[in-house]
Amino acid sequence: MRLAAGVDVGSTQTKAVIVGDNGGLRMLGRALVDTGANVQRAAENGFLAACQQAGVSPQDVGYVVGTGYGRYKITFGNSQMTEISCHARGAHHLFPSTRTVIDMGGQDSKAISVGAEGEVLDFVMNDKCAAGTGRFLANAAEVLGIGLDEIGPLSLAARHPVKITTVCTVFVESDILSYLAQGKKPEDVLAGVHLAIARRTISLARRVPIEQAIVMTGGVSRNVGMVRALEQVLGTKLEVGSDAHFAGAIGAALFAIEKMGESFESGIWRPADAAPAG
Amino acid sequence: MSEAPRSEYRGQIHQQQKDLMLRWYERLEESARTGNPPSVELMISGNSIELLEGFGAVPLYPEVNALQLAIRHLSLDPILAAEELGYAADNCAYVKADIGALIRGITPAGTPLPKPALVLCNFVGCNTYVKWFEHAAEFQGVPLAMLDVPFLRTPEPRAEDVDYVVRQLHEIVCQLEQITGRRFDMDRFREAVRCSARVEEAWSRIKHLARRTPSPFDAYFDAITLMGPLYVYRGSPEGVAFFELALKEMEEKAARGEGIYDQEKFRVVLEGPPPYPFFRSFRDMFASWKATAVASTYSTVGGLWEFGFRHDPSRPFESVALHMLAHNVTNRNYLQRYEQIRRYVEEWDADGIVIHFVKSCRLFSAGQGDMRDYFTRQLGVPTLYIESDLEDPRYFSEAQIKNRMDAFFEALEHSRSTGTLRRGAAALRQPAAGAGSAPGAGERLNILP
Repeated sequence: MRLAAGVDVGSTQTKAVIVGDNGGLRMLGRALVDTGANVQRAAENGFLAACQQAGVSPQDVGYVVGTGYGRYKITFGNSQMTEISCHARGAHHLFPSTRTVIDMGGQDSKAISVGAEGEVLDFVMNDKCAAGTGRFLANAAEVLGIGLDEIGPLSLAARHPVKITTVCTVFVESDILSYLAQGKKPEDVLAGVHLAIARRTISLARRVPIEQAIVMTGGVSRNVGMVRALEQVLGTKLEVGSDAHFAGAIGAALFAIEKMGESFESGIWRPADAAPAG
Repeated sequence: MSEAPRSEYRGQIHQQQKDLMLRWYERLEESARTGNPPSVELMISGNSIELLEGFGAVPLYPEVNALQLAIRHLSLDPILAAEELGYAADNCAYVKADIGALIRGITPAGTPLPKPALVLCNFVGCNTYVKWFEHAAEFQGVPLAMLDVPFLRTPEPRAEDVDYVVRQLHEIVCQLEQITGRRFDMDRFREAVRCSARVEEAWSRIKHLARRTPSPFDAYFDAITLMGPLYVYRGSPEGVAFFELALKEMEEKAARGEGIYDQEKFRVVLEGPPPYPFFRSFRDMFASWKATAVASTYSTVGGLWEFGFRHDPSRPFESVALHMLAHNVTNRNYLQRYEQIRRYVEEWDADGIVIHFVKSCRLFSAGQGDMRDYFTRQLGVPTLYIESDLEDPRYFSEAQIKNRMDAFFEALEHSRSTGTLRRGAAALRQPAAGAGSAPGAGERLNILP
């Protein structure tokens, strides 16, 4: 069986996926680690953990495609592709009817228009500002003293969502504190926060043609409150699979299988420490 | 990652360009020291360099100084100095770099710049310049002349518009005679107009060489190198010699079938000025995909000649007025800019468009989101939209811009591998009847000669 890997080194988390090609494609293992300060180490750890979960030796993986902001730091990778191409490919693999991808990560969000084969037709991204990204939610969670995993479910309990007018990740803190001082409930504040990001993201996404099926990918796809808010603003349902968080790494692994072609070469794995200097 | 292939052309003209620009700074230094030759501060867009030749005056271009500061990574200090004075974060960064440099006494070459005899605001297209030049005159304590050039709102300028500008040019001649104590030399002016026409002919032919595959030069990055001499020396024999040599070198390169890279992969049209503080990195992003800019709107800010306009020595004042009114990109309306880009895609055989939005320039950048929609949705041309700034390094995020550029070219590469990437005329989808608003009205856009 031919084995390939995709490693998506994001600003917050690193995702790795091992795909096996044995006539048909199968995801054999996946792993998620915090990126932290050592990007190279995070890529290695993610890759090794995914190999372990797949029950394969790193030496048997024939091709690795790196993606995400840290893609050029993956010393054992064979080639790199942007996460825009990889998310489109990954989303299309998970949902073949995908025409629009909304990817929300730790520090950026993007909307991708996808063709019938999973190719990128057009894309837009937030620009040098964390508004509309996971960071905005993390800040809100911190101000409220609530865990990041809890804010989504809690926001669903809102009955009177507040109106958050700022989309600035820094200034949202003062908005939240002001609402809390007025006695608003945390769930109503959180629903307001989620809606503010959803409006911002959808206004960005409308710059590419939004067509069904719309697939959400990236770390924020695990936040049910965010999915609900986006659906509310869009007025339609989003496709969110259990592997949505890994869409970029899955896409990278699929490109890896393709790039590997017939020229399978085992033993490309060489940890950074063993790599010759220079 | 392997290093991006080096792509710029280095022939005789490369060294000559450096020498010419160095000589310009030497003349400015001489003017600063002795007052001779007199200098006049002008704006690049639709500049009237020929008029200055009639006085033997040297031009002082604040934009060139600002961009030189940015390329040399010296722009942030003057920008911060201007902000300390109260200029807002979103003011034009060219203005802030220039005003800040004036206050701090910073010059790009380290040599002194003269106090101009006159600050001449040839207000073409950019209304921020009115305030910029008012401030520049105030800070330097020199007289200011406003040359009001009506915005081009009809396909061709009206006769009364031309007359209005010509009358103002006459007034400025009188004003400059009084200020400099020099008599305006009509023969020299006419000769300058004649030189300009020859430079424009050579420059235009160089640009048309980029229609070949591969293109022998990059009509954005290489064009920027040639733009300094174009604006400073256009009306002089040195300018003619330089551009005729440049044409010869480019024609020889084209005859040998040489492109920018060993193999030209993509051909793009560029809209917007470059991020000067990161000029090299920006160029490398195109080079790593072997992408050549075959045409650019930025290279037509000072003048748009590739569609046929030339200065005319038989009617020198009228042709200077026409140049300012109609034949530079900033004084033309947006639909005319759409049409200019559409023609570049079609006639220069491009695969796509890259739009660089400048955060501190509302004039050039406002509407570029709609422009992107027009080209992607109505005409079906792959169009990348990126944002940073032409002067302020704080707006540039290399990782983000590289990510977008790579994704754009990955998509083009994929389209090529599946046989769906179309080039030139084939890339343009005819707008559907009634689709969108004005840009779809092809007949209204068909206004270029």
